[in-house]
Amino acid sequence: MATQLKSDALMEQMKLHMSTDAGKQLTKKIGLVYQINIAPKKIGFNEKSFVVDLKKGEVKEGAYEDGKPDATFSFTDDDFLKVASGKMNPQIAFMRGAMKIKGSISAAQKFTPDIFPKPSKM
Amino acid sequence: MAMRDLVSGGAACAVPGSSSSSNPLGALANALIGSSSKTQERLQEIPTATATASDGNLHAGMGEPFNAALPGSELEYMHPNAQGSEFLRGFHSMDQNRFSDAWDDIQRPQIPHFQGRTGPTNLPLEHARLQQDFDGPPQKVLSNFLHSFLHSGHGTIPFRPASLPVLGLSEGDKQCIRDRSSIMARHLFADKSEEFIHTQVNALLSSLDIDNDIRARGPIPGRFPELEEYWTESQHMKPLSGGADGWASEFSQQLVPHDNPNMWAQSFERQHGANGWASEFEHYLPLHLLFLEKSRVHIDADEYACLIFLAKFQEHLQLASVDQMRATGVPNLAAMEQTRMLAHTLAQNNDPKFQNSKFLQFVSKMSRGEITIEDNQFKPAGISAPGDWAAEYEQQHSGGRSWADQFSNEQASSDFPKDTMNTCLWQKANMFRSFTSMLRTFLLRFLVLIRDDILQSAKIFSDLTILTIQLSQGPHGWANEFATEHGQQGSTEDEWANEFSKLNVNDWSDEFERQVADGVLGDSSGDNWANAYDDYLNEQTALKQKSDASRGVYVFSDLNPYVGRPNPLKEGQELFRKGLLSEAVLALEAEVLKNPDNAEGWRLLGIAHAENDDDQQVDILDLLPLFSLRWTAIAAMMRAHEVDPTNLEVLLALGVSHTNELEQAAALKYLYSWLRHHPRYSTIAPPDQPENLYYADVSVYLDCNMHVNVHKLGYMFMVARLFNDAAKLSPEDADVHIVLGVLYNLSREYDKAIEAFQTSLKLKPRDYSLWNKLGATQANSVQSADAILAYQQALNLKPNYVRAWANMGISYANQGMYEDSIRYYVRALAMNPKADNAWQYLRISLSCASRNDMFEACDSRNLDILQKEFPMI
Repeated sequence: MATQLKSDALMEQMKLHMSTDAGKQLTKKIGLVYQINIAPKKIGFNEKSFVVDLKKGEVKEGAYEDGKPDATFSFTDDDFLKVASGKMNPQIAFMRGAMKIKGSISAAQKFTPDIFPKPSKM
Repeated sequence: MAMRDLVSGGAACAVPGSSSSSNPLGALANALIGSSSKTQERLQEIPTATATASDGNLHAGMGEPFNAALPGSELEYMHPNAQGSEFLRGFHSMDQNRFSDAWDDIQRPQIPHFQGRTGPTNLPLEHARLQQDFDGPPQKVLSNFLHSFLHSGHGTIPFRPASLPVLGLSEGDKQCIRDRSSIMARHLFADKSEEFIHTQVNALLSSLDIDNDIRARGPIPGRFPELEEYWTESQHMKPLSGGADGWASEFSQQLVPHDNPNMWAQSFERQHGANGWASEFEHYLPLHLLFLEKSRVHIDADEYACLIFLAKFQEHLQLASVDQMRATGVPNLAAMEQTRMLAHTLAQNNDPKFQNSKFLQFVSKMSRGEITIEDNQFKPAGISAPGDWAAEYEQQHSGGRSWADQFSNEQASSDFPKDTMNTCLWQKANMFRSFTSMLRTFLLRFLVLIRDDILQSAKIFSDLTILTIQLSQGPHGWANEFATEHGQQGSTEDEWANEFSKLNVNDWSDEFERQVADGVLGDSSGDNWANAYDDYLNEQTALKQKSDASRGVYVFSDLNPYVGRPNPLKEGQELFRKGLLSEAVLALEAEVLKNPDNAEGWRLLGIAHAENDDDQQVDILDLLPLFSLRWTAIAAMMRAHEVDPTNLEVLLALGVSHTNELEQAAALKYLYSWLRHHPRYSTIAPPDQPENLYYADVSVYLDCNMHVNVHKLGYMFMVARLFNDAAKLSPEDADVHIVLGVLYNLSREYDKAIEAFQTSLKLKPRDYSLWNKLGATQANSVQSADAILAYQQALNLKPNYVRAWANMGISYANQGMYEDSIRYYVRALAMNPKADNAWQYLRISLSCASRNDMFEACDSRNLDILQKEFPMI
């Protein structure tokens, strides 16, 4: 692993989250596969990919192998955290260029902060 | 001065490699300074960007035709006063889009013809992406320009210097820009050669008419030790005056006689000090560069004009220094040459009159207050207030013959065509007041925007805030100045918000237009986007935002009732004990204001914030109008750390805070420090190792994103091992286990962390914060039920523990129990309405619970309604 992202922590929490009831609810509610490319500083550079598979209910690192994800997002590390925590509205993020989207717009529109578990503070 | 000469005398303003003979500056200046009615046509007339910057990169020269079309040429139908108001009108009514479009097109040589923003096709998205992460709407001049600069590093082509319009950047701005651009350049182009960096920076600066003299406070190794010192000093967040000393005196010793044209500048400089009033601006505007890198910033034409305009003033004062630099053999030809020309022309144009003009005198006053000269030594500026500047000006202006009048009268008789640019510039004096307000507006916007993570450097942000504190608190504080200017305190925030909203409207509509045209929106109705954009505006104008950078800065609340009381620390401690955290914060702020070296005051302040779940809050909007920022836990802690770097509690608290923010490197650093400064364990931690392992943590302050790389990971393990050793050494020491627990959180080894916390809890069962830590760890490893139990313990011990309430909410929400989570969030927010995170989470929970009816209450932060609706059961 070349770099560590802050988003790693969130993704890991998401991974664990998927095995909980709430996580399973997500698969029922959304049932889509998202790929999220996160770059440390600038979108497109040194990206790390995660697959948030809300069909199967798993989170994996790396690009999506089993076909095409329903939507692919690109963020910087910080922006992703902002969107996931609700600090930045995804639509706003998109408009500001903080979030790039590929794939189905309707799938993309289902990508909202409430998908992600929130981190607690010590 | 002749911007005109500067510009049309192409060669003079040329920086090697640029399209020098043309006059983009003039054209653009026209565009800007032209009357509103002319604006559109002017802009339409801006000629093809001739692709001298053939690489499609950042700047292109423009065609000839506008050499003549300088602002002055419009004088035929304007006389000074009218001109002034024309100018003003032109600015205010100018459609900023067009202006930006104009600039866009200058920037994009591939687009052969400028057209107004008639449609998205003119600025194809790809083009935007080529440039950088534009978020769509046209950028304003400076932002575009600087943006380009920042991205020039990514191309292989060096940044092309551009002539920018005659819109003053204040001297301080320039200095700031200079300094910061050097810094930024070094970061951005870290992989490139020093030469490259230097060229880029020079190009940037010369385009902005900033001379890149040695005062560029970057690490220019060796050559100017006094500057290095200044640099280092300023890095330690000391007031500017301290650092300026060495430099200024060194500088004065290098004064060398020069030929006549520059004498005035030089003598002026000598009298009034090189760095004086500029210094207070120093840290402000150059922050452009920082935020622009990721920016979605739109600098309004007005604002930009304001800045450029201000810069012009400063420039002249810089001239002497330029000569000094030359004398000392600094090879910085392009920028210096340019400024020389400028000085030369300026001096020539208005020879004795101008030199003695009230304008110069007035400008001199900016620094005068703090600058004295004693035996060839400068006493550098203390905390000069930019407000003075405006005030001074006003004095002069209203007192009989303002320099502007004087000047314009003088000008009236002089040769118009030749001096038109000059005239225009100086004749805009009566816009000064507007400029200052525009400047403020700009700063407000600017600072709002930097409250996002855009601002990379905590340090620089710190400087800014400290500066603003200083400014706001001095008798001539800017806050007062602004307040006076507007005749009312506290309204400025609204004004700002209004202006800001207004200013963004065009952006939005263009963006929207473009998006629609590009089919991006798909099925989404325009309404959704309108709402989204409204939200964006709200977001921008909403009060709280968090910024990583804010951590380094602590700014005080204004109107603090505890200030002036005899023993605020005691009061603070008492309030803290009682659990009245927000009040405690105020009292403690009063304490640290009174005794800035009181580490305990800072520490408690930090803790109070942390417990109040204020980890990251920075309320810049509060700051700006009234120049008060809210202290954040981290900021306070860092201040405590500064005061006493060995204080273990502070180190731990900082480690925890940074861990919460997922700032691994920083957290590690503090935790490691904890170990090293611990009397018992310092031997475990080898003192010589950290240097290798701290890797980039120097840039906790300076760097952009911190990437914990493999080395750091190794470092982390090493530190963990050390702590384990420490724990074995002293199994009865709860603290070691606590730190260990935090460390394991950082490395996400949650089980070990839980174990560590549980061990320490056996030793310290009544430590409420420890229970919270345990709970948070459990929550983050998705053991939410356990977490809730732990939080409950914490709350039993401390019922007003806002953070624990919020964490409860989070745990419920993560389990999908949204209705419950709402109650907890509301409870937390009732105790501390400033806990931004909680507001955001509340909103999400409301949405998940399908309580959209409460959105408005949430967005407007109406706790009454929320509490009524969601009482704690």
